[in-house]
Amino acid sequence: MFHVEHYDVVVIGAGHAGIEAANISEKYGLKTALITKNYSDLGKLSCNPSIGGVGKTHIASEVDILGGVICKIGDKSAIHYRVLNLSKGPAVWGVRAQIDRDLYSQNMKKFIKSSKIDLIEDEATNILEKNNKIIGVELSNIGKIKSKAVILTTGTFLNGKIYFGNESQEAGRIGNSSSKALAKFINKNFKTMRLKTGTPPRIYAQSINYDVLEPQISENNGIFLSYFTKQNTNKKINCFITKTNNKTHKIIRDNLDKSAMYSGIIKSQGVRYCPSIEDKITKFGDRNGHNIFLEPEGLNSDLVYPNGISNSLDKKIQLKFLRSIKGLEKCEVDQFGYAVEYDSVDPRELKNNFETKKIENFFLAGQINGTTGYEEAAGQGVYAAIHAAIKIKKIKFNTKVFERDNSYIGVLVDDLTKLGVTEPYRMFTSRAENRLKLRTDNSYERFSTIITPKAFNKAEYSLISKNIVNEKKILDQLKKLKYSPNNLMKKNIKVKKDGKVRNGFEVLKFLYPSPNNFYQFFNIKISQKLLTKIYFDSKYDVFYEREKKSFDQLSKNKNMKLTNIDFNKIPSLSKEILEKLNKHKPENLYDAGKISGITPSALFQIVKHKKDKGKKVA
Amino acid sequence: MFNEGTIYANITPIVKSPIIGYRISGEDVLFILKKLTNKNFKNNHSLLKLVDLYNYDGTILDKCSVVYFKSPKSFTGEDVCEIFIHGSPLIASQLEKTLKSYKIPGFRIAKNGEFSYRSVLNNKNSLKQAKAVNSIISNESFSLLEYNKRLLFEGDKVSGLAPLREEIINIFSEITASIDFVDDEDFNFKNIMKKIRFFFNYCNNLLHKNRTKIEQKSICKIMLIGAVNVGKSTLFNKIIDKDRAIVTEIKGTTRDFLSNLVIIDGKKFELFDTAGQRSKQGKIEKYGYKRAQSLSREIDHFLILSDKNTKSVDLKQLFYDFSVKNNYSLIKTKSDLYNYNTKDIKINHHLDRDNVLKKIKLSSIHKKYVNNKKIELNFDINEIEFLEDILKYEQDITKEKDILIIAQLIRNILDDFSYEFGYINNEDIYDRVFSNFCIGK
Ligand SMILES: Cc1cc2nc3c(=O)[nH]c(=O)nc-3n(C[C@H](O)[C@H](O)[C@H](O)COP(=O)(O)OP(=O)(O)OC[C@H]3O[C@@H](n4cnc5c(N)ncnc54)[C@H](O)[C@@H]3O)c2cc1C
Ligand SMILES: Nc1nc2c(ncn2[C@@H]2O[C@H](COP(=O)(O)OP(=O)(O)OP(=O)(O)O)[C@@H](O)[C@H]2O)c(=O)[nH]1
Ligand SMILES: [Mg+2]
Repeated sequence: MFHVEHYDVVVIGAGHAGIEAANISEKYGLKTALITKNYSDLGKLSCNPSIGGVGKTHIASEVDILGGVICKIGDKSAIHYRVLNLSKGPAVWGVRAQIDRDLYSQNMKKFIKSSKIDLIEDEATNILEKNNKIIGVELSNIGKIKSKAVILTTGTFLNGKIYFGNESQEAGRIGNSSSKALAKFINKNFKTMRLKTGTPPRIYAQSINYDVLEPQISENNGIFLSYFTKQNTNKKINCFITKTNNKTHKIIRDNLDKSAMYSGIIKSQGVRYCPSIEDKITKFGDRNGHNIFLEPEGLNSDLVYPNGISNSLDKKIQLKFLRSIKGLEKCEVDQFGYAVEYDSVDPRELKNNFETKKIENFFLAGQINGTTGYEEAAGQGVYAAIHAAIKIKKIKFNTKVFERDNSYIGVLVDDLTKLGVTEPYRMFTSRAENRLKLRTDNSYERFSTIITPKAFNKAEYSLISKNIVNEKKILDQLKKLKYSPNNLMKKNIKVKKDGKVRNGFEVLKFLYPSPNNFYQFFNIKISQKLLTKIYFDSKYDVFYEREKKSFDQLSKNKNMKLTNIDFNKIPSLSKEILEKLNKHKPENLYDAGKISGITPSALFQIVKHKKDKGKKVA
Repeated sequence: MFNEGTIYANITPIVKSPIIGYRISGEDVLFILKKLTNKNFKNNHSLLKLVDLYNYDGTILDKCSVVYFKSPKSFTGEDVCEIFIHGSPLIASQLEKTLKSYKIPGFRIAKNGEFSYRSVLNNKNSLKQAKAVNSIISNESFSLLEYNKRLLFEGDKVSGLAPLREEIINIFSEITASIDFVDDEDFNFKNIMKKIRFFFNYCNNLLHKNRTKIEQKSICKIMLIGAVNVGKSTLFNKIIDKDRAIVTEIKGTTRDFLSNLVIIDGKKFELFDTAGQRSKQGKIEKYGYKRAQSLSREIDHFLILSDKNTKSVDLKQLFYDFSVKNNYSLIKTKSDLYNYNTKDIKINHHLDRDNVLKKIKLSSIHKKYVNNKKIELNFDINEIEFLEDILKYEQDITKEKDILIIAQLIRNILDDFSYEFGYINNEDIYDRVFSNFCIGK
């Protein structure tokens, strides 16, 4: 018996991936259901109460411009802002907002309720398919519901297990039971792996002695998470910084046998860039102290998130080492830190559109694909939903915007589906070859071919359109202005005396980029935000060209397909190289070249083998 | 670029000599051997066999040695055979004619360097090692030869570029960390720039030190000059131990200069035979004499030959024509015919080679012009050029203030290293980042 409703898309899991997926799918006109185990969990920030940061903001800004919600709701719920890398140029600026957990959940719930998404509170227990094609989902209470596509975004819940020291319990995260029935289906059909992450304890604010600690005050740069945010009127809070010390280190070192990760109970792969305090002290024990950022969980919350000391130690030891830290001498703990181990799917089970290779119209997004982080999850939710819409509804969409030289989402998708993961994957700006171009301040430009009124409300859409028109107008004006080297010398700008006449856009990079200065020089009015953007466009112009060239170089042979090649038949490939090729199964030559340790000569060899084979068949 | 087909080429010069060698590489080697010898070489990997070769018309071509190497255990990684026929250019041309008569599709003469190229394609050698093979053959100096051999047998790590690669990965890792993990450790732009400048200084030092090292001379160039018919070509042939120059009693036999490399007691010489001097030279002869003269600036040492018939004015003229200073030895020839009472070296064509060499004292001549100190090299000319390419980035990077542009340019350098040493990808960088810095919260 099927439930009456027939959906285009059912999204399982209302975390960061699920919400974005449901939202996009609804905006593109698909009939959408969003299923979550607990209504109260909707939009829960399972780990730290902050959104953004270097690399993460980059993905979030793309989600934002694709019509996603993480940035908008993030800004609405933000109570502290900082911009990282402000001294380094906008390509790597990373705005980070501390988020009030409760506000975020409330705002998210309000948003989902106001949409046409059907929110269903139930546990998905099975995926229904016929001849390797999705027909629906089975829920624990409601039973079966029909759907053309399913997007699975269950995060850390598949066979999730959490650990405090030697204690462990089955759970997707603290307070949430793990999804075992669904895990069975996934493990039966796909290659999975066991990954691990951790979270620090939560401390009562009143038990902290702030007087002895250094505060971090919220910055006010007018830089927000979302392109559309004009201001944030929430009250702002301070964060505080403290440090571990030698006493702390000794307590931890003496009790490593009481850590789930170090006693050998947990065997799965943790994250190198999110090390537990046990890791930090084992690997970098020579340091005098490791920073801890005390981040209040909200305006009305009495809890504080101590960023930097995620661990899986025995609860007693946790309290002991916490109390050895300045300002935390009398601290009381609400919730102890723990590690969580869970099943995730090898993302190479996915096609480039995030549909599984095995089951048609079955999409996976979020942490289940081996990533970590809210923003990474959100990006995947949007990506999967767009591709579901392309598949189910044949919407027109230029998927070129998702190539790795145009977007971080593209980099993420490419890395995941081509290389797979050995540890939870997080975005870094250095993963992008085209970093100078993939900036948060130009995402609207990179995605301009697919910006559509469907994805936004009227005010938002008219804001983007207006800005784009305005920018074009200013650029046209600039490009009409001409300057000879002599001309520029007179204006105190030193350029090579190459006789080259430069236009205003080309001259811009020699100016100090303030609106005042700009007005004096060009007699054009401009906002600081737009000026910063086009100033760096002018400055990076030559590098865009260069980047493009080297990308083209790589691209020349990149499409040579390697899917039906048996690398073992190439006699002269070294053992190590064979192992790597067999492990990563690159789809084409370009991907093969990206695998660590694959030499140009190995690539020659592959090409040669491939051509030989072709010759014999012919 | 990726040409296929079985290829062949002679691996010795095709001149009258005891032996002429051919190499064939590709998938048709066994087929060719079967046709050529009526034998199956399949199970004869790396064994030298004495066999009869048959002409395309079935007649016997030669009786000679053949060795077969089974893929992938060969120089190129493909099936390879090497055939050593008797050293007659005529037999060689018959062999080639026979090979062509099989009409194997794609079978052709190898292009220059193609065997080495295939060895790279087939991963028998890294690009670096293939270059080393080439250098071993064409090497100018023994130190360089030693280096190229080590590169070939011990791998890329012996290259002087290897530590530079390490350093540039470290620098790039630190830049990466300073951008992507700003708030995790204290990164300092000035410190990073200091390391970068140090890196380039180091490159510059290596460049200067090693360029002079490599360019250090190892060959001693010796030219034989003297009147016509005095016996220059006779001596030339004696020293190089081959009948290279034509010797006749006709005056003016040698019309253009000849040169030949020869190694004596581990020392390298390039020897030049020249057209003889006389007042009435033929047109070609005159031209040849002029050509020899124009070469004289490169010559380290002259062997000036004369006999009883040589007039002292002519001898003076020789010094003048070849701008000889004090870099010469005087040699009296035909001492079997004439008696000399000078301190000059006296020789004649009946003396055996060792005796002649001893008299001329080539070894001490070599010492005079060439520094024979053996130097340990860890760069070759290709690598010096590579260093020069890297240094082209120095200005742009050290003057730049935008760390993102610096990162981009250093990534270009990494790409250059990738090409020489194998791909450096993001994971390699992150390995370095996470082991050098305490990253993450
Ligand atoms: C303990 C812990 C520590 C973490 N630490 C970090 C960190 O340090 N840094 C970092 O960047 N990220 C961290 N994360 C990761 C971050 O929280 C996630 O990457 C992100 O939330 C993943 O989003 P998601 O949408 O994929 O899954 P989630 O946000 O986990 O959402 C999954 C949703 O699926 C629902 N669900 C699961 N099973 C079913 C089912 N059978 N039926 C219906 N609904 C179901 C759940 O109720 C939940 O709403 C941590 C996560 C956890 C749990
Ligand atoms: N008896 C005797 N004859 C010699 C000796 N050396 C050379 N001859 C002969 O002298 C003739 C000329 O010798 P070459 O070696 O051709 O002389 P060359 O100096 O090269 O002469 P050109 O090339 O014509 O300038 C030949 O007939 C040699 O056989 C020697 O030591 N003793
Ligand atoms: Mg002669």
